[in-house]
Amino acid sequence: MLSTMTNLLETTILYSTPLILAALGGLFSERSGVINIGLEGLMTIGAFTSAVVAINTGSPWIGLLAGIVAGILLALIHAVATVTFNADQTVSGVAINFLAAGLAVYLVKALYDGAGQTPVVESKFTDLAIPVLKDIPLIGDPLFNTSPITYIALILVFVSYFVLYRTPFGMRLRAVGEHPHATETAGVSVVKMRYVAVLISGALAAIGGATLSTSIGSEFSATTVAGQGFIAIAALIFGKWKPFGVLGAAAFFGFSVALSLTGQVWGLTEYVPSEILTMLPYVLTILALAGFVGRANAPAAIGKLYERGSR
Amino acid sequence: MIGKLNRNSTLLSSIISIILGMLVGAIAMLLSGYDPISAYGALFSSVFGSASDMGETLRTITPLIFAGLAVALAFRTGMFNIGVEGQLVIGSLAAAFVGLKLELPPVLHAIVALVVGALAGAIWALIPGLLKAIRGVHEVIVCIMMNWIALFLSNYMVGKVLSNNSDSTEKIHPSASIRVDFLTDMFDGARVHLGLILAILTTIFVYVLLFRTKLGYELRAVGLNPDASEYAGMSVKRNIILSMMISGGIAGLAGAVELLGTSEYLAINPSLPGTGFDGIAVALLGANTPIGVVLSSMLFGGLFNGGSNMQYVAEVPFEVIRIVFAAIILFVAANFVKQLGNRKNRKKKGEKASA
Amino acid sequence: MQMKRLLGSLVAVSLVATLAVGCGGNKSKETAKGDFSVGLVTDTGGLNDESFNQSANMGLQKAKNDIKVDVKAQESKKDDDYVPNLTRFAKDKRNLIWGVGFKFDKAIPDVAGEFKDSKFAIVDSNLGGKIPSNVVAVTFKDEEGSFLAGVAAGKTTKTNQVGFIGGMSSPLIKKFEAGFTAGVKQANPKATVKVVYAESFSDATKGRSLAKSLYDGGADIVYHAAGGVGKGLFDEVKSREAGKYWAIGVDMDQSRLAPEHTLTSMIKRVDVAVFEITKQAKEGTLKLGTEVNFGLKDEGVGLSKNSKISPEVMKQVEEFKQKIIKGEITVPSK
Repeated sequence: MLSTMTNLLETTILYSTPLILAALGGLFSERSGVINIGLEGLMTIGAFTSAVVAINTGSPWIGLLAGIVAGILLALIHAVATVTFNADQTVSGVAINFLAAGLAVYLVKALYDGAGQTPVVESKFTDLAIPVLKDIPLIGDPLFNTSPITYIALILVFVSYFVLYRTPFGMRLRAVGEHPHATETAGVSVVKMRYVAVLISGALAAIGGATLSTSIGSEFSATTVAGQGFIAIAALIFGKWKPFGVLGAAAFFGFSVALSLTGQVWGLTEYVPSEILTMLPYVLTILALAGFVGRANAPAAIGKLYERGSR
Repeated sequence: MIGKLNRNSTLLSSIISIILGMLVGAIAMLLSGYDPISAYGALFSSVFGSASDMGETLRTITPLIFAGLAVALAFRTGMFNIGVEGQLVIGSLAAAFVGLKLELPPVLHAIVALVVGALAGAIWALIPGLLKAIRGVHEVIVCIMMNWIALFLSNYMVGKVLSNNSDSTEKIHPSASIRVDFLTDMFDGARVHLGLILAILTTIFVYVLLFRTKLGYELRAVGLNPDASEYAGMSVKRNIILSMMISGGIAGLAGAVELLGTSEYLAINPSLPGTGFDGIAVALLGANTPIGVVLSSMLFGGLFNGGSNMQYVAEVPFEVIRIVFAAIILFVAANFVKQLGNRKNRKKKGEKASA
Repeated sequence: MQMKRLLGSLVAVSLVATLAVGCGGNKSKETAKGDFSVGLVTDTGGLNDESFNQSANMGLQKAKNDIKVDVKAQESKKDDDYVPNLTRFAKDKRNLIWGVGFKFDKAIPDVAGEFKDSKFAIVDSNLGGKIPSNVVAVTFKDEEGSFLAGVAAGKTTKTNQVGFIGGMSSPLIKKFEAGFTAGVKQANPKATVKVVYAESFSDATKGRSLAKSLYDGGADIVYHAAGGVGKGLFDEVKSREAGKYWAIGVDMDQSRLAPEHTLTSMIKRVDVAVFEITKQAKEGTLKLGTEVNFGLKDEGVGLSKNSKISPEVMKQVEEFKQKIIKGEITVPSK
């Protein structure tokens, strides 16, 4: 029983880590008033770049850094299009997804002689045990003997909370997402804040992508990200655009997936077909939303064009 | 006069956007050692090259029109129907059920299958609509979840109900098919079917509904300003639910049309078909107008169908087409060309627009 | 305003398209060269899927080099592409056209009916027994190879518990499951097999989670028939003690994914089949309208040469192999 619980927790963490990171990315962007439906694409480019660089340098950390840079560059396109050129934010996000999916797979084919995936990332992130804490029964092994990126993800939840709610930068960022005109009048540059927010979002989503290709998995292919960016958007809304909300939503979804998977190992498939069992996380999410969570209010200025001087 | 001039320059700037997008693709090809000229030659020659190529292009465009219309209609009411994907899957499933399990005379059988497919899609979209209207749950999450549920439900039904534990169903009864010989012959064997005509009819329907009826006026009003609409005596909830149901119905029809016309059978699928997501791009590029959806579907379908010929003849990876398309969307959406021209005037224009 | 701008811009599209016709319309299509030409269409997995598509392409390339036939391969992006892709080859008058994967089981009969002068071949489906007169159906006794993998697992397990991860619940994957389970039981009646399905062929994270649960639940050897999902199995086993936890690969030799942890791989020689059939077609000896079934006897399936199976176990695997070939054991396929 104890080992079952540990296993459930391990699987939950495995599944939630990339979601937490990408959803936090979306959080920064959307709190500043810029919809980011391009999380999927930002994760894809992060996953691709970090895998290729990790393969060539032999270091997953350098790979991660490169992934972050790539995520920021792609996010820059989103920022230029939406903030500078006032493009519709959803349109631009959709384009980012197309661009990343095309570019990453195209480059894999160009780099690796037509292959559908990168070679194996030999030097990937390995579990890092934290002394003493790892010996706590039940939660010690899953929580304190895991991938460094999982620690990074958890720390980033706290950092995001602190930055957004306890620093002048965060307050301005949120203000820009709620009342851009008033904030501009108060002397904050809406354009600058939104640029920074969108770039942060690219960096965080890219770390989420890197998790998939260099920590949980060890290669990049067209199906590495496979819809997780959209689940991250769901987690962002489910978590009501708040850091700890996002953590809770991602953990809830991860736990539901874990339940549906370990359910098979317990032999539940004797009674329920595996296709039906696989629906579980999605059904549970809807039920949770309808039953307990309810209304979600997006940042007020989200998706609206902002032109200086107009209102 | 000024409006006309304006429109002409818009035309020009969008042609330039498309050319710029293709240039981005050409640069990508050059950088990795492919020949862009032969690649684009192959692409264009296939789009309208032969009757059957043109037919397959039209076949590709058909579901995109439906999906784009579905997304656009919901957008007009302020709803982001990212669940077209799932509604389409359910539409296919329902049409397959009718096509396989019922015995009806020709024509009637197809009509029943189409109607049931559309209804199934509408019901699938009703769930996020209701939850939004009653509980205030954001439609995007519910739609994303419903997409996956639709996929697994369809896979389960194919294996356990519509076939005897097989990977795919038998072909539907010919009486339910919407392929017609004269179209197939006209396009030299390509699988063009009545779905294309239905797509055009649906386009007209959406146009009339949105711009020529009271309901359409309300739907758009709710999308533009829900608070004011409520104040003016419209029911925001009712309009949200209706909009999602009509949108889902169109999406379901797309699925039914694909099944009854293109594939004529249903198979298990490891991943979502992607048509619904493509529909989002199509709707947005078409500015959420019916005619815009048709035009952007043509661009999208032409590029993607031509892309596979490009891969065939010039051996350039297909993915370059995705890059080209993304670039075109960005250039058009940001109105890049025009804005580069008159960056200086921007501030002035902004003030005027807001006045 | 923005609406009009976007709308207007789209009018341009049709203009550009029309221009395009003018530029490229006359270009003649590439046609096949040489006396004998072959076309191969992959399913949505693509040419380099490290699975049956890639294997089929290897056979095709061998045919190009060894028996000098003109070859061309085309990837499919969606299920809807199968018919046009096959048609394109048929219009190019290619002599033999391959559809790789059971997903072609509707497209091949359709196109074959349309182009009666071309020959077609399908991999992994017998078309429900209704094979048109210009089609050959190539199938594999996946269950026989999986049976041997099961024997190896049953004899090697220390915990008397092994696992199987399937991609999607479908008859094709059930063949692997059934053969593997039968092999384990024959080799080690005390051993149990835990069977799980990912309902995906691509979600490696799911594969890793399932593998984790299986190993944590007491299994020490896990076999997969789950495409990309299986990559997660190798990621998980690599994080565990070598020599204690094992994975068994499928389709091709997968030991490069986890060299120290791969017990063996169940190899499906799609390449051999594609080459053989292509050769027969060129020589004019190919029998059409039938199913050609590749099993252990024809070396169409089997275990990889590169393996960590101990010599004693290997001897027993070999014995079972001979029994199957002689027909003393019939391996269940569902």
